[in-house]
Amino acid sequence: MAHRIVGQPVGKLEGIGKVSGQARYSGDVTLPGLVWGKALRSPLPHARIVRIDTSRARALPGVLAVLTAQDLPDILVGRRMFDMPMLARDRVRFVGEKVAVVAAVDPDTAEEALALIDVEYEDLSAVFDPVAAIKAGAPVLHENPAAYEGAPAERPHPNVQSVLRFKLGDVEAGFGQADRIFEHTFRTQLDHQGYLEPHAGVVAIDDDGRIQVWASNKMPFRLKELLSHALRRPPEQIRVNLTPIGGDFGGKGSLMDLPLAYHLARVTGRPVKMLMRYAEELMAGNPRHPSVITMRTGVTRDGRIIARRVKALFNSGAYAAFKPAPSVNLGGTAMGAGVYRIPNLLIEAFCVYSNNIPCGHARSPGEPQMVFAGESHMDMIARELGMDPADLRRKNLLRDGDHLANGHHLEHVRASDTLEAALKASHYAEPKPGPWIGRGMAMTHRHIGVGFTNARVRLETSGAVTLSIALPDTGTGAHLVLCQVVAEVLGVTLDEVEIEVANTDDFETDSGVGGSRVTHTGGRAAYHAAEKLKQQIESEASKHGIPAGALAEIARAAAKDGRTLEASHFYDAKAHADVTSFTAQVAEVAIDPATGQVTIRHFTTAHDVGTIINPIGHQGQIEGGLIQGLGFALMEEMKTEDGRISTLSLGDFKLPTIQDIPPLTTVILQDQVGPGPFNAKAIGEGSISAVAPAIANAVADACGVRILDLPITAEKVYFALREKVAR
Amino acid sequence: MIRLTVNGTVHELEVPAYRTLLDCLRYDLGLTGSKEGCGVGVCGACTVLLDGKMISSCIALAGFADGRSVTTVEGLAQDERLHPVQQAFVDAGGFQCGICTPGQVVSAKALLDANPNPTEAEIKEWMVGNLCRCTGYYKIVESIRSAAQRSRA
Repeated sequence: MAHRIVGQPVGKLEGIGKVSGQARYSGDVTLPGLVWGKALRSPLPHARIVRIDTSRARALPGVLAVLTAQDLPDILVGRRMFDMPMLARDRVRFVGEKVAVVAAVDPDTAEEALALIDVEYEDLSAVFDPVAAIKAGAPVLHENPAAYEGAPAERPHPNVQSVLRFKLGDVEAGFGQADRIFEHTFRTQLDHQGYLEPHAGVVAIDDDGRIQVWASNKMPFRLKELLSHALRRPPEQIRVNLTPIGGDFGGKGSLMDLPLAYHLARVTGRPVKMLMRYAEELMAGNPRHPSVITMRTGVTRDGRIIARRVKALFNSGAYAAFKPAPSVNLGGTAMGAGVYRIPNLLIEAFCVYSNNIPCGHARSPGEPQMVFAGESHMDMIARELGMDPADLRRKNLLRDGDHLANGHHLEHVRASDTLEAALKASHYAEPKPGPWIGRGMAMTHRHIGVGFTNARVRLETSGAVTLSIALPDTGTGAHLVLCQVVAEVLGVTLDEVEIEVANTDDFETDSGVGGSRVTHTGGRAAYHAAEKLKQQIESEASKHGIPAGALAEIARAAAKDGRTLEASHFYDAKAHADVTSFTAQVAEVAIDPATGQVTIRHFTTAHDVGTIINPIGHQGQIEGGLIQGLGFALMEEMKTEDGRISTLSLGDFKLPTIQDIPPLTTVILQDQVGPGPFNAKAIGEGSISAVAPAIANAVADACGVRILDLPITAEKVYFALREKVAR
Repeated sequence: MIRLTVNGTVHELEVPAYRTLLDCLRYDLGLTGSKEGCGVGVCGACTVLLDGKMISSCIALAGFADGRSVTTVEGLAQDERLHPVQQAFVDAGGFQCGICTPGQVVSAKALLDANPNPTEAEIKEWMVGNLCRCTGYYKIVESIRSAAQRSRA
């Protein structure tokens, strides 16, 4: 079906504010009388707090308040499992945990005051490795985790936060039918989302007691609920004001410093701003879980997978508070089955407490870890069986009518088409151009997210259309997509649609941004609201005998009768559609045998997608996710030494730069089967997860070295090559 | 007392010796376009031009700019008309969340001032100090190439 505006490569509406410096992020918000909050953080991974003396800090001119846990109600915070104190009470459990907070007239005075707080600690024995943490006799982080609100019931060890299991068939019986069984263990690193805007928030308490919040938070209504819980204030007393967010990638959904900013505002009677420094992000943000994943797969002689058992340990750090899913685990764990039909399957994922930074959600949570393990494992199996890795995949790919590990039923399965498209575009089957060059493939798929969104559209008397929505702009271009949908439905130009970013007073609820849902849920809410408005316009036009296209005239006629033409829609998608989106990627790498350096000579990414509403934004999601995946594959790592992050700046924690991007070929396989407006699917999390295994498989192809732990650094490749020569 | 010319306007102000240029711009002058990302001169979100040359304002002291001329992202547009670099970033999708964008467009402007017709390799070399997590950089390269073309046209 041809569209006028849907599918057009238009630039971003919000762009003018962003390129001119006028866009106001949370950290840019200023209010009369604003003061600054700063937190003092624990230097120790596990210790008892013996004493805190704040008297010197309180005496510093310009300091308005100093709070410790003793000054706050004994309330634990979190997103699903509420196990984290706002300030450490009696005990710290990771380096970077907040023990005191200061409000001062400017940020420098606040920093100075922190240095004047004396804390006496008594060391406790600590545990850092997730394997060690669940052994008998390991130091226990929380005496009684089962007592925490939202705590899952199953707990095989006191240091286990949660267990998530996916089962198909009978895994032991399946292994009994296997001709060959392969087992490999993989590790992935602690990785930060890498958004360049550290967490920022401003809290003000109005004269009437209303709590106003500006925060880099992508789920404003959930934030309102969580704040209501943390502050013990009724939700209607809290208003979250939306601002643009300087990058999310899954990391901007928790309370972070907001409860403390509230208490400082309450005590000082002034609005309070709290900005995390990037070093604080790297020691106390909510990064991607590191993992230890063992994959055991049974295959028949001809390469059919008959059974798989996956055990994943996620090193969750000192608190479970940052995980938003009801399972208090990572849903991406289901990707242990990859893109394959596996009749007998058991996946078990354990989130484990340790004296490290507490982890949270990051773009496609759990999937880059699982897909690295699973797709590396597939190539290792293929090599052992003497099969081409493409053939092993072809034999086992999902087909129409299959079920995923999480029970989700699939139709319109394009796994095979996507793989073949990537192989063709990458010239996979052609001879390699030289020695030390290799090619590797990997696949994944990603669901189209579900959730709920409210949208309201109004016809102005100028003839323009206003779309009101309470979904924050995290940079994905969703606002533009929604405006395109509205313009398409109403038959107006894109310039005639304006977006009005609402706040939490303006709507009942919204599930916010994340989980590859916004084009679907926001798009459908906007679509149906626009459809309703269109009907109103048509009936108004016929009532007054005005042509249906004369929008200003119609709106003015309605206004004369005292009416505004306006329609709302609440779209609530509870269940996943029977479709998913496949990704197949091929990396071509060159290895420098003298240094182990890996260079990506070319990268190919193929995606099975729905209707593309904005090709610029769509491609931007593919490219951004892919380079984030490349950073995960090759360079990003928050290194820890006894729980202390030793890479505390963006100089040491290496994000990819513009010099690191490889030549790229994108292949789009478009279908009209998505649940989104105009049959759109999702794209935001499709390109990240297969990058690392595609590169790992290419490295193995190039030089016979198999890297089992990320990132694939030159050092690892160099030493593995030396070891190989020595053998 | 220091004297700063910011985007053509002269400001005389009293700041503590330790005040960074970034904090001075953001909090003393209210120019919040320049952003603090890494805070250690690595990410480029705070890039401004000091007498036409790029610096990281988060690691420069305000006093260092005394008597000199500072151009921030707010100073690029002329009479409400976006600078060609800014317009190209909008049209080609050179930004997503926008937090690094002020630094990107300031650096890109400095590049085109120095080299109106850069190759792709020259763009990548010049822009290496401006991190972006959202775009994967492809569309930043495209935006700068397109801005160069527009400026020549």
